Parts: sequence; structure tokens; C-alpha cells
Amino acid sequence: MQTYLNEKMKCEYCEMLERQNNVDLLYEDPDIVIAIKDFSCIPGQISIFPKQHYTILEMVPDEVLQKCFVLANKVSMAIFESLGAQGTNILVQNGLGAGQKVPHFSIEVIPRREGDGLKLAWEPKQLSQDEMDTAYLMVKEEGDRLVDIGKKKKEEKKEEPKTESSKEEPKKVNSKNNYLLKSIKRLP
Amino acid sequence: MPEMTDEQRKALEEKIKNMSPEELKEFQKQQCIFCQIITGKIPSKKVYSDDKCIAVMDINPASKGHLLIMPKEHYAIMPQMPDKEIGHLFLVSKYLSQILLKSLKVSGTNVFVANGGVAGQRAQHFMLHLIPRKEGDKVLDVEDKLIDVQLRTKVKELVEPKLLALLGVKKEKQTTLPQPKVELPEEEIEVGEEHQEEKVIEVSEEVEEPPKKKTKAVKEKKSAPKAAKKAKEPSKREEVGLDDIADLFK
Repeated sequence: MQTYLNEKMKCEYCEMLERQNNVDLLYEDPDIVIAIKDFSCIPGQISIFPKQHYTILEMVPDEVLQKCFVLANKVSMAIFESLGAQGTNILVQNGLGAGQKVPHFSIEVIPRREGDGLKLAWEPKQLSQDEMDTAYLMVKEEGDRLVDIGKKKKEEKKEEPKTESSKEEPKKVNSKNNYLLKSIKRLP
Repeated sequence: MPEMTDEQRKALEEKIKNMSPEELKEFQKQQCIFCQIITGKIPSKKVYSDDKCIAVMDINPASKGHLLIMPKEHYAIMPQMPDKEIGHLFLVSKYLSQILLKSLKVSGTNVFVANGGVAGQRAQHFMLHLIPRKEGDKVLDVEDKLIDVQLRTKVKELVEPKLLALLGVKKEKQTTLPQPKVELPEEEIEVGEEHQEEKVIEVSEEVEEPPKKKTKAVKEKKSAPKAAKKAKEPSKREEVGLDDIADLFK
């Protein structure tokens, strides 16, 4: 709990939300805000993040997360029409290794134009058959344990007492969070 | 695919022109590699699948474990997708991201969507990239810089009315996502819509005005403060053109 509070105190986004009459907010509801951050990769970049302090994607509750991305799509549509963008990128930097700078989950919507100089791409690799197979097996093993995600949610709602599938899931989240949180806390 | 002769190409173009929207959709589906991956006609390494979406390994990955999550329905770009499906797709990305972090021992993941060719979209089938990341791997490195407050204000002015109008439409149609009802945003949306109405009225006045202005300006040249006022009004409302936006990105 103590670490949570410390983290929150240092978090730029949480501080941003506490400011009165914030000019950079475009929209807010009880769960989510849409804002223009002062540090972006290009003017016109817009961020969507939950008000509650969640460090990484895996911590954000399903419903809030779904809403965040639905809003991200609306922001993307608005950018197309109002900024005359020729394309948009939607990007989540989840974890230190993925370029996350602020320990607060956020979705970035980035307007794109021909020749804007942004290097939002990667060099496609040709992995060896072996490497592909090992990666596939590792992920597939875990993937098979995932029940139909939509259906599981419905079941959880219907039956208040925890079913086996819902018990299994929080465990995973915990171990995962611990691992990632450790790496996140190395943030300067 | 074998090369087409000019004649064949022309015949095909003609055929496409004469298709009904339903036929065209079906045609696009047949042409789409990813639709064939989904139906199993093209083999793939599938890691997750449910009634709405499928996740496969990218054959030319950015890094080991790069996944593509795509809707089973054929959508070319994200704005075509219903909210419910968007929500579901990204929910799946959360669970799969968890799996990547755990099983591949990476220190982060990127969720990445490209809408449009300039944004790096290569396929005509909407998809979401889930890319395992390690520090220093030089995939999707984004450099942030401080954006001037005036630029930010301008972006806000441009985007806000459109966004609130879009959210307004969304709220009325919204049936799928369980959402706490809010009064505040709805008020804001109303304001936004009023603005739009005003704009429409202003524009129609402008259209009617010019002929009057000319005749009035000639007749009441000396004592015409009214005409001067009217002449100024239209200049207040400038349409924001693409050039202004282009300037934003310099």
C-alpha cells in the first residue's frame, strides 16, 4: 500500500488530474480522461488514460480497459477529420522495455502524415524455424489455458461466488504484476 | 499470384465496378490473406481463438513472440468496427500480453495499431500488433519532445468539437459496454452541438450576404458602420484548412 501511494505521488498523470481548471483535458468521465500531454512525439498526439492509478495494462480492469480503447478509436476518428491526418497510430507502451516513461497506463493516439519523420515501424525479421516454434509453443501453452474471454466474463457476472476459471485468473495477474512492477520501479 | 494481362485487369476492374456493396465485401474477403488465415485455408500458428477474434504468430515478426490479433469479420480499418468488437479485441490483447510477459520473460509489450498506409498499415484487414519488447531492441522507439503550449491549445480547439460530437453519437447508440452514466459529459456535448448549429447559421448568412454588401457598400460608403461590421463578420470564421494543420507538423 505504501509503495502504491509513493508511486501515485510521483505520477505525472495523477498530478495532472489534481490540477484545477486543466486546459489540456479534452474529455473526462468518472473513470477515464482524454488529454493532450506536454511531452509527445508529435503535435496532435492525444492520450487516453484511466483516472485510477494503474501502472500497466494488466492491472486495468476489463471494463475500464474496453472503454479506454473504444474512446481511443473515437479520438482516432476525430483526429482524421479535424486535423486532416492521413492515418493514425494507436500505441500502448506497456512496461519499461516497451518505452513506458510514466508509471501510469495510457493509450497514445498519434496523427500521421506523409513524410512526418516518425519512425513508428520495425524491421521485419525472419526467425529460424526453431525460434518460431519455441516461441509458438511457449505462448500456445498458456494461450490454451485461456477460456473464451468474452464468455468467461459473462459467467463471472452471473455467478457471484468465484468459479474455477475466475480463481485461476487473479493468481496469474498477481505473479505477472509482481514481475513487471519490479521492473517498473527501477524507473528513475 | 500469376501476373494479369492488361485485358484481364480491365475485365476485373469492370467486374468490380458493377458489384453491389455486398458482392464487393465478399470479393474483398476472398482476396484477403488474413480472412483465409482465419478460415484456415492458409496455415498459421494460432495461439488463441474465440467467436469474434483470432491471434496468430506474425511470420515476419518485429521480435520473437510478435502476435497479430484480428477480428474474424473483415474490417479494413478500425473506425469500421463496432465498439463492442473493439472492446473485445483489446481485452484479448490484455490477456495475451500477460502471457507474453510471463512466458517469454520480456520487460514490456507494445500494443500497436496502424490505421492507413502512412501509419504503416500493410494489410487490408484490421489487426492489432502485440509486440514483446526488451530494452534496447530498437523496435518502435518513440522520442518525445516538449510540445509548445500554443500548439497544444490549437490542437485542442480543432479536435475537441469533433470528438465531443462523436462521443455524443456514441452515447446515444451505446448499448454494449456497461458504463456508469455521467451527466457532465452530456452537458458538454450539448454545448458542442449548439456550437455546431450556430456555425451552420453563420455560414448560411455569409452566403446570402456578399451581394448585399457590395451594393450597400457603394451606396452608403460614407455612413456605413453597419456594412463595415457585416463585412468583418465573415472573416472571423475561417475554415481551418489542411495547410494550417500541415504547419502544425513542421
